[in-house]
Amino acid sequence: MEAIRYVERLNSHYRSQGFQPYQWTINHDAPLTPLSRPLNQCRIAMLTSGGVSRCDAQPFNPQARNDLRLDVFESEALPGCLVINDDYYDHRDADRDINCIFPVERLRELSAQGVIGSISPHHYSGFMGRIYTRSTVVNEAAPALARRLQEDRVDAAALVPA
Amino acid sequence: MLEENGIPTVVVSTARDISAQVKAPRTVFVNHPMGNTFGRAFDHERQRTILADALRALETVREGGALIDLPYEWEREFGIFQG
Repeated sequence: MEAIRYVERLNSHYRSQGFQPYQWTINHDAPLTPLSRPLNQCRIAMLTSGGVSRCDAQPFNPQARNDLRLDVFESEALPGCLVINDDYYDHRDADRDINCIFPVERLRELSAQGVIGSISPHHYSGFMGRIYTRSTVVNEAAPALARRLQEDRVDAAALVPA
Repeated sequence: MLEENGIPTVVVSTARDISAQVKAPRTVFVNHPMGNTFGRAFDHERQRTILADALRALETVREGGALIDLPYEWEREFGIFQG
């Protein structure tokens, strides 16, 4: 089937609610940092923005605005007990199997198969709360995550929006 | 933003048009419902295949802004999640 047109649908939703038009991020080019070594030698981290938290932590608030919370998971302990709090997508499958959106167990298998070199000691969950403050993400939250990744000597990250 | 800080990234997206606008350094698009980016619950093979394809894009993409359509289909028509 044809890909869903989310942009059109959200624009008309905003119009019908009488909201100001959503300010989409539109970029015309993108930077590229090449891998520093072959994939099969790389240490990989993952980030989900699907409102995933540990059962013993405060749940994400699906109604939050500009929530730049970033949870850090010990990757060896995953999946453990995780819970999803997000009302933007259907997470019934992911509630039963987190790998639908955050495939931490599949990454472990790819590491065992030698597709990647190793797994970061930490994976991440955050940036989920309807963020309208782009500059804070660019100037603060993203560089803070980059520093963490560098501390863990991560070679590349897989980012999974939801 | 991670890329400017020296970390190569790949985005695994279920929203093709949004990703085309954002132009992340590397994006793979999966035409699945949001919430099933990697497939159905317990479909280990599909989950692993999509993840491996995404990770390989880290190595194969040579120019920033690449959007790669992965060849997987959802088993039936789906729409936007209405809550």
